[in-house]
Amino acid sequence: MMQDFLFKASNISKYYGQNVGCKNVSLDINSGEVLGIVGESGSGKSTLLNCIYGNLKVDEGDILLNDKSKTILNFTKIDEPKLRLIQRSDLAFVHQNPRDGLRMNISAGGNIGERLMAIGHRNYGEIREIASSWLEKVEIDVSRIDDKPSTFSGGMQQRLQIARNLVTKPRLIFMDEPTGGLDVSVQAKILDLLRNLVRELGIAAIIVTHDLGVVRLLADRIIVMQNGNVIEAGLCDQVLDDPQHKYSQLLVSSVLQV
Amino acid sequence: MNDMSKDKNIDIQIYNFAYLDENTKRMIRRALLKALCIPGYQVPFSSREMPMPYGWGTGGIQVTSACLIPKDVLKVIDQGADDTTNAVSIRKFFQKTANVAVTEKTSDASLIQTRHRIPETKLKEQQILVYQVPIPEPLRFLEPRETETRKMHALSEYGLMFVKLYEDIAKHGHIETAYAYPVKTNGNYVTDPSPIPKFDNPKMNNNPAIQLFGAGREQRIYAIPPYTNVKSLDFEDYPFEAMKANFKCSICGSSDSYLDEIIVSDDGKRSYICSDTDYCKEQTQLNSKEEDQ
Ligand SMILES: Nc1ncnc2c1ncn2[C@@H]1O[C@H](COP(=O)(O)OP(=O)(O)O)[C@@H](O)[C@H]1O
Ligand SMILES: [Mg+2]
Ligand SMILES: [Zn+2]
Repeated sequence: MMQDFLFKASNISKYYGQNVGCKNVSLDINSGEVLGIVGESGSGKSTLLNCIYGNLKVDEGDILLNDKSKTILNFTKIDEPKLRLIQRSDLAFVHQNPRDGLRMNISAGGNIGERLMAIGHRNYGEIREIASSWLEKVEIDVSRIDDKPSTFSGGMQQRLQIARNLVTKPRLIFMDEPTGGLDVSVQAKILDLLRNLVRELGIAAIIVTHDLGVVRLLADRIIVMQNGNVIEAGLCDQVLDDPQHKYSQLLVSSVLQV
Repeated sequence: MNDMSKDKNIDIQIYNFAYLDENTKRMIRRALLKALCIPGYQVPFSSREMPMPYGWGTGGIQVTSACLIPKDVLKVIDQGADDTTNAVSIRKFFQKTANVAVTEKTSDASLIQTRHRIPETKLKEQQILVYQVPIPEPLRFLEPRETETRKMHALSEYGLMFVKLYEDIAKHGHIETAYAYPVKTNGNYVTDPSPIPKFDNPKMNNNPAIQLFGAGREQRIYAIPPYTNVKSLDFEDYPFEAMKANFKCSICGSSDSYLDEIIVSDDGKRSYICSDTDYCKEQTQLNSKEEDQ
């Protein structure tokens, strides 16, 4: 019987010449679930995330999405127009650096509206209304709607990037260190916001981080990576409270010292 | 033999017909045919050095050169006028290098090269309108990467184009873009109509003439075949409007042609006149005929 998964990646490998990016990684995620990918810098988290989002071509493996009409799409088999269409309707990607995910010379409202216009919204008043409601949701003063992100603080920029991505109600959102470059107090606010939005909208998320505090707050399940391999996977609390693999134990103990 | 004709002989010996050599013209014609097959699609071509700077419309000149035949009647306009420096120079250039007949009358021309205007007089089948284009990529202002804009065209990802119009309304309360107003050609490619006023955009739609666009510095050619659907982009609640100054031409009295604002006295008094000089002359003649009757 077909499992009722939302997204599934199996045996993903990616090499950079001789170097391993990630090797033989499998993961799956159900709708509404949050999966954390943890590991130290260089362990292959970003490579894996970009591979399964479809941004990087994999060397081996399959990436399956159970789309809205219950058809299984394999990212490694479909053509580029189809993949890009899925990326801007079913999926979303939040970059660590808001500059990579925002248009800095376009107003906040235009940034949020772009995905709407890309899927065919052609009513200015409506687009503006939706943009305003999303600014409210991410706690940016609606009076800033016509200001450019370059005039925003780092935390505001990141919240704007989140709004820009969530506006079309994707079913799965990919995030690479979304709070990476921010102050601790700003991080906390964004994590809180993310947790509420993801729960409220029932969006599934795959979040990459080297910060175990982040996954503890957000993730239902985690996978732990080292040198491109998955070395442990399981329920978030289980892995963090009772890590089995030596490396996971090291990770957890080092976070406790902080 | 007098000096004039001697000079002329020398010109004909030095230059191939219409300046460019036959191989180059063939290369440009191939690009033009491809462009006509895929309306609105920007075809790369290897632009040649022309004996004038880029701002003078070298793209349009190369297209004209590739299209001209000896029995053509050429009209050249700049901002609607036949008598500006730019128009006069280009017209002289082709008189000298191709020895073709020239005219200022839109209806008599078989090929019209233009910068910034479409003639007011309706174009006909068998006519060719060649536009000089500075920046052929309508998405360039929003997305500087050529690899990305090409992909956006290929996949019809035009959300970004609407972001530009959105920004206009957000900033000015209406779509401020008054020149080079983007259009969708044949329901497919978003196209830059060159810096014509948006007043002229509706003339592109379903036009019986062949419309060719040449960008010299950017090395692109694109085209709109006769009777092609050309739609200006807009929002449901901010529909496209072909606007012009709400005055009458102070020479011919026309209220439906595109007007230029001119200062007529030292104390800054303003007046409006048709930007299309041929149309203005025609209207003036019509008026005096009516008065005679
Ligand atoms: N573009 C690249 N070219 C070559 N090697 C790369 C490239 N990107 C990443 N790598 C290598 O792949 C491995 C995994 O990197 P990465 O996925 O960025 O890890 P992480 O996100 O966990 O820090 C590292 O050894 C890194 O040096
Ligand atoms: Mg990384
Ligand atoms: Zn007039």
